Amino acid sequence: MIPDWKVVQDYLEILEFPELKGIIFMQTACQAVQHQRGRRQYNKLRNLLKDARHDCVLFANEFQQDCYLPRERGESMDKWQTRSIYNAAVWYYHHCQERMPVILVTEDEEAVQQYGSETEGVFVISFKNYLDNFWPDLKATHELCDSILQSRRERERESQESHRKEYPEHLPLEVLEAGIKSGRYVQGILKVNKHRAQIEAFVRLQGASSKDAGLISDILIHGMKARNRSIHGDVVVVELLPKNEWKGRTTALCENDSEDKATGESPSEPMPTGRVVGILQKNWRDYVVTFPSREEVQSQGKNAQKILVTPWDYRIPKIRISTQQAEALQDFRVVVRIDSWESTSVYPNGHFVRVLGRIGDLEGEISTILVENSISVAPFSEAQMCEMPVNTPEKPWKVSPEEERERRDLRKTHLVFSIDPKGCEDVDDTLSVRTLNNGDLELGVHIADVTHFVKPNSCIDIEARTRATTYYLADRRYDMLPSILSADLCSLLGGVDRYAVSVMWELDKTSYEIKKVWYGRTIIRSAYKLFYEAAQELLDGNFNIIDDIPEFRDLDETSRQAKLEELVWAIGKLTDIARHVRAKRDLCGALELEGVEVRVQLDEQKNIHDLIPKQPLEVHETVAECMILANHWVAKKIWESFPHGALLRQHPPPHQEFFSELRECAKAKGFFIDTRSNKTLADSLDNANDPDDPIVNRLLRSMATQAMSNALYFSTGSCAEEEFHHYGLALDKYTHFTSPIRRYSDIIVHRLLMAAISKDKKMEIKENLFSNKDLEELCRHINNRNRAAQHSQKRSTELFQCMYFKDKGQETEERCISDGVIYSMRTNGVLVFIPRFGIKGAAYLKNKDGLVISCGPDNRSEWKPGSLQRSQNKITSTTTGGESVTFHLFDHVTVRISVQTSRCHSDTIRLEIVSNKPYMIPDTELSHQTALLPKSDLVKEVTKSVEEAQLAQEVKVNVIQEDYQEYCQTKGRSLYILLEEIRDLALLDVSNSHGL
Amino acid sequence: MAGLELLSDQGYRVDGRRAGELRKIQARMGVFAQADGSAYIEQGNTKALAVVYGPHEIRGSRARALPDRALVNCQYSSATFSTGERKRRPHGDRKSCEMGLQLRQTFEAAILTQLHPRSQIDIYVQVLQADGGTYAACVNAATLAVLDAGIPMRDFVCACSAGFVDGTALADLSHVEEAAGGPQLAMALLPASGQIALLEMDARLHEDHLERVLEAAARAARDVHTLLDRVVRQHVREASILLGD
Repeated sequence: MIPDWKVVQDYLEILEFPELKGIIFMQTACQAVQHQRGRRQYNKLRNLLKDARHDCVLFANEFQQDCYLPRERGESMDKWQTRSIYNAAVWYYHHCQERMPVILVTEDEEAVQQYGSETEGVFVISFKNYLDNFWPDLKATHELCDSILQSRRERERESQESHRKEYPEHLPLEVLEAGIKSGRYVQGILKVNKHRAQIEAFVRLQGASSKDAGLISDILIHGMKARNRSIHGDVVVVELLPKNEWKGRTTALCENDSEDKATGESPSEPMPTGRVVGILQKNWRDYVVTFPSREEVQSQGKNAQKILVTPWDYRIPKIRISTQQAEALQDFRVVVRIDSWESTSVYPNGHFVRVLGRIGDLEGEISTILVENSISVAPFSEAQMCEMPVNTPEKPWKVSPEEERERRDLRKTHLVFSIDPKGCEDVDDTLSVRTLNNGDLELGVHIADVTHFVKPNSCIDIEARTRATTYYLADRRYDMLPSILSADLCSLLGGVDRYAVSVMWELDKTSYEIKKVWYGRTIIRSAYKLFYEAAQELLDGNFNIIDDIPEFRDLDETSRQAKLEELVWAIGKLTDIARHVRAKRDLCGALELEGVEVRVQLDEQKNIHDLIPKQPLEVHETVAECMILANHWVAKKIWESFPHGALLRQHPPPHQEFFSELRECAKAKGFFIDTRSNKTLADSLDNANDPDDPIVNRLLRSMATQAMSNALYFSTGSCAEEEFHHYGLALDKYTHFTSPIRRYSDIIVHRLLMAAISKDKKMEIKENLFSNKDLEELCRHINNRNRAAQHSQKRSTELFQCMYFKDKGQETEERCISDGVIYSMRTNGVLVFIPRFGIKGAAYLKNKDGLVISCGPDNRSEWKPGSLQRSQNKITSTTTGGESVTFHLFDHVTVRISVQTSRCHSDTIRLEIVSNKPYMIPDTELSHQTALLPKSDLVKEVTKSVEEAQLAQEVKVNVIQEDYQEYCQTKGRSLYILLEEIRDLALLDVSNSHGL
Repeated sequence: MAGLELLSDQGYRVDGRRAGELRKIQARMGVFAQADGSAYIEQGNTKALAVVYGPHEIRGSRARALPDRALVNCQYSSATFSTGERKRRPHGDRKSCEMGLQLRQTFEAAILTQLHPRSQIDIYVQVLQADGGTYAACVNAATLAVLDAGIPMRDFVCACSAGFVDGTALADLSHVEEAAGGPQLAMALLPASGQIALLEMDARLHEDHLERVLEAAARAARDVHTLLDRVVRQHVREASILLGD
């Protein structure tokens, strides 16, 4: 049997069947494959030829004198190839002395007709015909043949329809730029809707174009076709569609894996809709993906070399990867990169980069989170560490004499102490307060002098700049600076000399009016390293706590008493001042946004439990107020000195439309929220307090927080002075100055402050500061990294939550059933907040089969056929049987928490409404159930269980291996391995006997 | 098109040769009446023409004359139409000068120059079509031309190129094989004694493989010798018939 070139190209897989033997491949055909199908297919062909079981041969017909036919003038390549192959077939037939019939298989109808009866003994038939005649029993080949035929036909049809284009071409750059200028197109950043990644994406407008077009809201991009190969995060150029094609966004809850089931439901009112005409800036990064499982690979079938992998991030389309290792990489999280996305291809092409870890493995998942947020946490390099000062017991670090001369020495004169959370290693702020000779007070905030150790543009500086912040994950942290600095030399620990940058105010003794302010470098020795709880106890006059303060332990009674009094006075005074400063801030600005402010701050702390504020101690507020004061004054100072190049922090006022949901919710409970200014918002939030249900206020506040825009760093040269305002803190200027150990922005601010001081002293500025443009760029980077840090912390906490609930039995464990509060309505479900775990999630009232929830007399819920009715603040589910159940906003319901595992993505928490009555906690458990499960405990528990699991696995393996050794059992299951092992054993025996 | 496969699994090269196989060699001697000696050779598609004048008195500056032997003057040129892309000038460029020097070295080693002190032998070589192995073709053509001129030589000088692909040494590289960028070696051999008149290689090759490549080149050069010998005998036979013996 001799296949034609076309047959070899298209049906190679069938020819690979072991049943098909004795195939003669002509050189002409092979070369056609090599040239037209590329290396991969050609290699397959080569392997086929090498495989001895197939009895296939290659006949180099073009090198054979009798078979070679020169291509005739005007003859097409195809024709010539067919002719050559036929000619060679005829020669072969004669060569075998006409004893063996030769079959030439071709797809070319003409060839069948032309050559069919030319030579006796050489049969020319079509491939289908060949299979029918010679292999009628070989079902698999027939099926494969059909599928190949079909896919080819489809491809042809597609190519006819769209000229092989899946997407329209992007417009050239000049056209885009001109279009943006003229207002024809709009520029913005593409954001894909996580929950409907296939269909919905929005373009957030950017730059001046939004004002010109008079558009306020985002632009909807509906469907992949309109998205035109842009990926989440790309800067795209959009053309608006005519109004009659505008679509609305869907409000139904929906899971990613399900198809677009919202078709029957009416979407909300139409919003501006557009299509992407070009991409200005591609924002491709490394993506974490998962290879399809074995079964899926098989179903993908034919093109086994190209594999569609599913990114971890829902918003990223599937990526086509060509690799041979798909099988081996199945159970791993893998990093890939996108190479290109041609207009002819449905999916982007990418390539494999590296393996992260096993799916479901804690380390693997954590590194997934890091990669997804583009966080690189390689350990500090040798060169960077070389720049670090040493502090070892043999060579202790000392204050140098030059520095002693230059700095103001506060070691003897001031009582400096720090208040931090328990177990804190990186103490970057300390406080002091004392009475001056004239009776006025002096308040001091002393911040670790990181810039003394981190010189501009040194290796460590560059590294810190790239990291921009310390990353706190649920169970670990990745420091911005090496631990020698962050936990030792920069950390203002108790009882050691340290460099600091201080801000000191002289306050009037009665009115606490600020009379004078001094900024400068100092040397301090912190006397006490207190923690919040201890400080609070001291403040409250409860002195039992002193046993917990190590500094007091070794003192005799009298001196202890004196010192204690001194400290208590200082803390008391500080609290007094802080109260006063806050009151003045409220008064002067006439703004009180305490609740919201704390919330925003907490958000920055990136704590998912921010919704359950820990019982705030007054000391917290005292310290925070001092820090805000320092930040505020430093902001003023650097802005005055460098009006165009200071790094400040702004908090723009929120968009009013984001508050609509909050207002609706509040209305349901009969509250009115005035969102016109931060003052009115704070007041109305304070008033919106349901005495029966404290969670209502918490939820409202959290919704208000969500409506806020994020606070951002910016360079003062880049925007007008009135935009500097900090909405949450109600300050006209604000920056970050007080945590240089864990934030790079603070390092910049420190340098600016130092430069400002030397400018005042008429000294030349040594350091070259950033220009406005560079600073703007840097701010963008820091903001970006901060967002990544927040996001990764959130994700890691979610990961831990999922791992926590995963191990629990669903039905048996009490913990999986909890009380939840409905805080938002959707067409097919509700959003529920679970105060105990701080989880927010969606619960369905209508499942995928269209059944709705109904609650029986015992309040147990069941799925029954029926319908849902949604109104402003309630949703009613009516079954066909006439029973109905209504859920109102802020209703308490009982939910079951379960974990929905997903191979390709992170696991998600899933909520089911179990009953429409609040969850009753049995009295016996009340005491410890109500106590919030602290995050750290959760982390500990999960980590422990993971370790145990690993340990168990190892033990198991060990045991098995011991067994192997003991009984000399063979390990493999296949006969081949068995034989190999026997061979090995035999060899060993021989060598042993030789040795003897 | 995927990367070109220089040697297929079946052991064929791109043009259908085996690894050690030469291209078809055709040659004629005495193509020009005016010159003292001349020859034309075709190795596959590489075509070269060689003309020899001399030995004669030194032309130009007498200072160049060597007291004990003849001066061998070689000039190489390649026709502007000889390569795929038209060349700008036929001779005088770096490559031509280098080639001329190499030819001169080769023939100083082969011609018994001490027999003609204070005289000069001119060898002009022109490549009409370059399809790989131009040096080899030039040497072979020049050998025939020198023989035609009746200048005494130690031996034939037979040259051949060789390359190395996928662990196999290939003899007599074509242009396609040269362009692929592998190592290539040019060797001029005095076949009777097995002495090497010139050996040149560009690109890097592991020492372990060098022996095999040298072997392949030497064997090919001996094959060339057989062919050239046949051509010379044929020519002598024809010439003697013409002389009417």
